Amino acid sequence: MRIGLLTEGGYPYVSGDARLWCDRLVRGLDQHEFDIYALSRSRRQEDEGWVTLPPQVSRVRTAPLWTVEDDGIAHGRRARRRFAEHYGELAAVLCAGPSEEASTAEADRFGSALYGLAELARDEGGLSGALRSETAVRALERACRTPGAPRAARAARVPDLLAVAGHLERALRPLTLDWYEDDGLGSVDLCHAASGGPAALPGLLARHFSGVPLLVTEYGVQLRTHHLSATEASPSVRALLAAFHGRLAAEVYARAAVITPGNAHARRWQERCGADRDKIRTVYPGMDATRFAEVGESPECADPDTLAWVGRVEPTKDLISLLHAFAEVRKEEPKTRLRIIGVPAGSEGAAYLGHCKALAAQLFPDEADGLHAVGDNPVSFEEIGGPDIPSPAEAYASGAVTVLSSVVEGFPISLVESMFCGRATVSTDVGAVVEVIGGTGLVVPPRNPRALAEACVALLRDPERRARLGAAARARALELFTVEQNITAFHSIYLEIVSRHPVRRVVLDDTTGEPRPFAVPAEAHMPGRWTGPAARVVARGGPGWAAGPPVRANTPLPATEAAR
Amino acid sequence: MSELDDLGGVGDLGELDRPGTPGSPGAWDARSEEWLTSEPGRPAARTPAVDEASPADKPAPAAAHRTTTATPPRTTPRRSQGTPTPRRTAADPVKALMHRHRELCERAVDPLEIAAGLEAHGVTDRTATRFRHRDVFSLAEEMYARASRDGDSPAPAAPPEPPRTRADWALLTLLPGALSAATLTGIHFTDGRPRLITAAVGTLAVALALRAALTRGPLSTTHPTHPRTRTLTCWLIAYALLGDGLLRQAITGGPDTLPTGTTDATWPTAGAPALALALSLAPAAWTAHLLTTRARRKLTASRGLEDFAAAVHPLLLGAFALYLSTLAALLALTATALDEPAPYAQTMTLGALLYLSRLLTTHGFTHAPALVLTVTATAQATALATTFASRLPGCDALGTPVTTLVDTWGPGAVPTLACGVGAATLLLHATRRLTRASAHATTDLQW
Repeated sequence: MRIGLLTEGGYPYVSGDARLWCDRLVRGLDQHEFDIYALSRSRRQEDEGWVTLPPQVSRVRTAPLWTVEDDGIAHGRRARRRFAEHYGELAAVLCAGPSEEASTAEADRFGSALYGLAELARDEGGLSGALRSETAVRALERACRTPGAPRAARAARVPDLLAVAGHLERALRPLTLDWYEDDGLGSVDLCHAASGGPAALPGLLARHFSGVPLLVTEYGVQLRTHHLSATEASPSVRALLAAFHGRLAAEVYARAAVITPGNAHARRWQERCGADRDKIRTVYPGMDATRFAEVGESPECADPDTLAWVGRVEPTKDLISLLHAFAEVRKEEPKTRLRIIGVPAGSEGAAYLGHCKALAAQLFPDEADGLHAVGDNPVSFEEIGGPDIPSPAEAYASGAVTVLSSVVEGFPISLVESMFCGRATVSTDVGAVVEVIGGTGLVVPPRNPRALAEACVALLRDPERRARLGAAARARALELFTVEQNITAFHSIYLEIVSRHPVRRVVLDDTTGEPRPFAVPAEAHMPGRWTGPAARVVARGGPGWAAGPPVRANTPLPATEAAR
Repeated sequence: MSELDDLGGVGDLGELDRPGTPGSPGAWDARSEEWLTSEPGRPAARTPAVDEASPADKPAPAAAHRTTTATPPRTTPRRSQGTPTPRRTAADPVKALMHRHRELCERAVDPLEIAAGLEAHGVTDRTATRFRHRDVFSLAEEMYARASRDGDSPAPAAPPEPPRTRADWALLTLLPGALSAATLTGIHFTDGRPRLITAAVGTLAVALALRAALTRGPLSTTHPTHPRTRTLTCWLIAYALLGDGLLRQAITGGPDTLPTGTTDATWPTAGAPALALALSLAPAAWTAHLLTTRARRKLTASRGLEDFAAAVHPLLLGAFALYLSTLAALLALTATALDEPAPYAQTMTLGALLYLSRLLTTHGFTHAPALVLTVTATAQATALATTFASRLPGCDALGTPVTTLVDTWGPGAVPTLACGVGAATLLLHATRRLTRASAHATTDLQW
């Protein structure tokens, strides 16, 4: 199969988001060909270059989203009228307000306006001038002044309209790209968007123009990120842009063949934005388990009296709470030690770390074994990379119990790593913690040091239970959060999508001219690479032995059943 | 694993652990006590805005103000030995939550924005059940619906920082004028070959200075200019220098000699208009700067596109008139200084034409100026060509229109007419295009 991987500010750029995941995916699925279509986010990102690409990447096409460019294309009268019509429609949808009963009709209008603009761009060339033109601004103004528009939109002033037009121009820039021809996205069997929003827009258009199925993977919901990041602009601008991004997300979810959120939190957002439940398959992010194999298989190396906390030090991790909890633990189990292992994140994190150290020194005086020994503090602050903790695995190995005390958490990586290491865990009930830990660790409410302390004491006093929980946690992590799991899940989702979509390129028999069924296998295993552009045609129309049976088809999706 | 980090932790979390002041006095009455005691088994997770820290607590960084003694007992056996400070909970927990996140609620334009903000502050679905909601989304919807956005009349945005008047472009715009003056002086004091060299070097220097002056400041443009525009501008200026003399010579049967650079030669050179035009680059830049800053100010002040167009219209005409009057004054000055006649009509029309075409180009309208300049230059070239062509046998009629024109109004009538029509066209065009808001949009908007 040929997969069109769509990214925005991500793979293959060195500084891209999710590049690690994309890289593992592309390397893991070497029986498929990958075409990468990347939108870059800034000049700095472009200057930093690409990561090394594996041979299964047959082409990379990039386009900037950050340039201020004027293509100087002036449209004719008819094209201008078409543009005004479609853009007016788009603006009207953005100002329609969130009325529930008319939402399907509005979604249709949004889609038709979007595809209308895309067709115009395909027929007449660049839209960037038109999208910034007076026609566009006028259309926005008219839509904002319509009775029934939301109050924030009605209050839009001229600078707001200009800002919205400028933002829409950038957001709609994928419309003017020349990616949708038959030698571009038209030739791939499946579009895989590595994030929602702008990255999925080319996939939408490829689906519209050539009927290519679209798979959308979101580890962080793009719409949520937009809401969190767009805080400076005026209310009118934010209202219109929120409407645009909301509609775009709904359109992407509606048109995608399959949507794969990274956890239940992303899944809830997607369902909330209109994604169909049947299309959603949760695919947990994969992590490299081999680093932790040694530690995970030797649980006896842990110091039975040590609690470990591993992560980036920042205020949301609530180390203060952890220290208070540790004070409680010390009342019950005076021999216990706490190792806080991690580097501060930014200046705020550094200040927070300093504060925590001060508090630790205040709460716990230095202790020594006897009158003639040099003492030290039961709470130690360390960093990974030092002599006794060369790698994260040793960090987890040093403690019998791993503690997570965050008040805000996304997908808790340190928890998963600790599960890989087979350590019993006590975590606060935030973010995706419950989803990740399942029944294999203790969970307490956030900001409750006493509850945290009690759970820790319970585990410290019961080595058997600790071992049981650790083993279960390791088994669960190996089942759900490995790289292999991630790749297998995507592999079977690819096959599932392709099996449900008609074959788009038919190979004709040379002698009879009849279409040959099964001439293009979804995947083929051959010794060595045969996917050069010239060899490709031969292989596809070639002998039957080239079409090896799909080895890993019909694997049940472990991710789906794991999602709550 | 940067891909995994983007779920939480976005947003300002400083608010998270700030000592909360009571949300409202109503929440602290007997009802709340009653409600609390009726549910003794509630988990001890805190309800916002009822933090036990008194307002007198210093706002310690992060969670420092909390002490273990204030944390309520979780299990019954411990209740006796722990400090029995009962948690006080507001009767209307959502109200307290809204008070705590009031900025978020007032700012939000969408329930999802509140949901995202709440999640960034650690509110989860399980927290939302405490507010009697199924999930964060429905909690956010209630908060969005209840948030008072009465005082939401958006404060008129502060006018954008006007583009700074910088010394570099202000000085650069003076350079072509100064160099032109120097060149003319040089020509005046030299003769023969040195004069030729002076003229050539001077022209080159002025051209380079002009180019440098136009790459910076209010007359610079980020839009790709039409490739013809530069050549056409050079032609028009060259015609202003030499064209009238050449036309007169052409009608009388010449030219017999090359121009010598003086006004009293057989092919006279008009130095005053060229010098005045070069000097007028500075007022041109200043008026363009004035137009830009004023238009930006109007942009922030106006409610609708029509208002903006109505407000910018007089601004544009004012800037244009200001430039023309400065040009007239400069021409009078240079004519006196060089002791030449001041050809007001053709210089003013040419100045107007060049000024408007540059103004339009700066704002991204490159097509019309290129077209108008082409037509103007072609008209001038045609006038010369027909005059020369009329000397051919049997082509006498070709020269008649130009000859009649020159006989009636003098040789200056040809450029005046050509540039006048062009300038009028561009002025009409500019009043329609430059009064649009999109022409004054700043393109430095970040994603």
